Amino acid sequence: MDISFSRDGNTLVVSIKGEIDHHTAAMVRERIDARFLMEPVKNMVIDMSGVNFMDSAGIGLIMGRMNRVSSVGGKLSIKSPKPQIKKLLKLSKIESIVEM
Amino acid sequence: MKPINRMKTEFLSKSVNESFARVVAASFAAQADPSIDILADIRTAVSEAVTNAIIHGYPDKEGIVVMECILYPDYIEIIIEDFGKGIEDIEKAKLPLYTSRPDLERSGMGFTVMETFMDSLEVESEQGKGTKIRMTKKLVNR
Repeated sequence: MDISFSRDGNTLVVSIKGEIDHHTAAMVRERIDARFLMEPVKNMVIDMSGVNFMDSAGIGLIMGRMNRVSSVGGKLSIKSPKPQIKKLLKLSKIESIVEM
Repeated sequence: MKPINRMKTEFLSKSVNESFARVVAASFAAQADPSIDILADIRTAVSEAVTNAIIHGYPDKEGIVVMECILYPDYIEIIIEDFGKGIEDIEKAKLPLYTSRPDLERSGMGFTVMETFMDSLEVESEQGKGTKIRMTKKLVNR
């Protein structure tokens, strides 16, 4: 699992590489939340082009980050999910509340 | 229908074993040469079932999770069983967005994902004795 961060204006760009499941989600959550607190940003983009597996733990992770970003008046976007992950996002109806 | 192959494995309810289980199940199914999409659905459903066993079957202690895969000519049956706490209300647990563990930021989509990504899903559970999830998936050749 590899997580890297960059900043684009007031947006934190989070790039995740690896697999998101219950085992890895807690670590991903902690690292993203810590960085979001440190940076002077209010929006977040999660680049999922490097995520080759995700189960419903990833849905919980995204919903939790959406709540966090919304609490400071920001927006969360999901970038480049692979088809299987898109299927999961569609099922969870996340795609109707998060910008893709 | 007579099975053409069968495997059974057991492992401790450690979250690191979620990836082990889904890789093993998909590798076993791969001998029937299904599409990549079908293998991806199996990986996702197995991950959900094993996570369920780990989080809800054994919330306070480690236990054994058993996974059995039975290959038939045109479908696979996958059984994930734990011998832990059991589910109090299966119908409630299957409701989309219902979770008994909001502390873990669970989405409550586990059973919905299993039902959607597989062709059939059966859940048997007895409080204090454990839970058995039985799923099947058609393996249409590429």
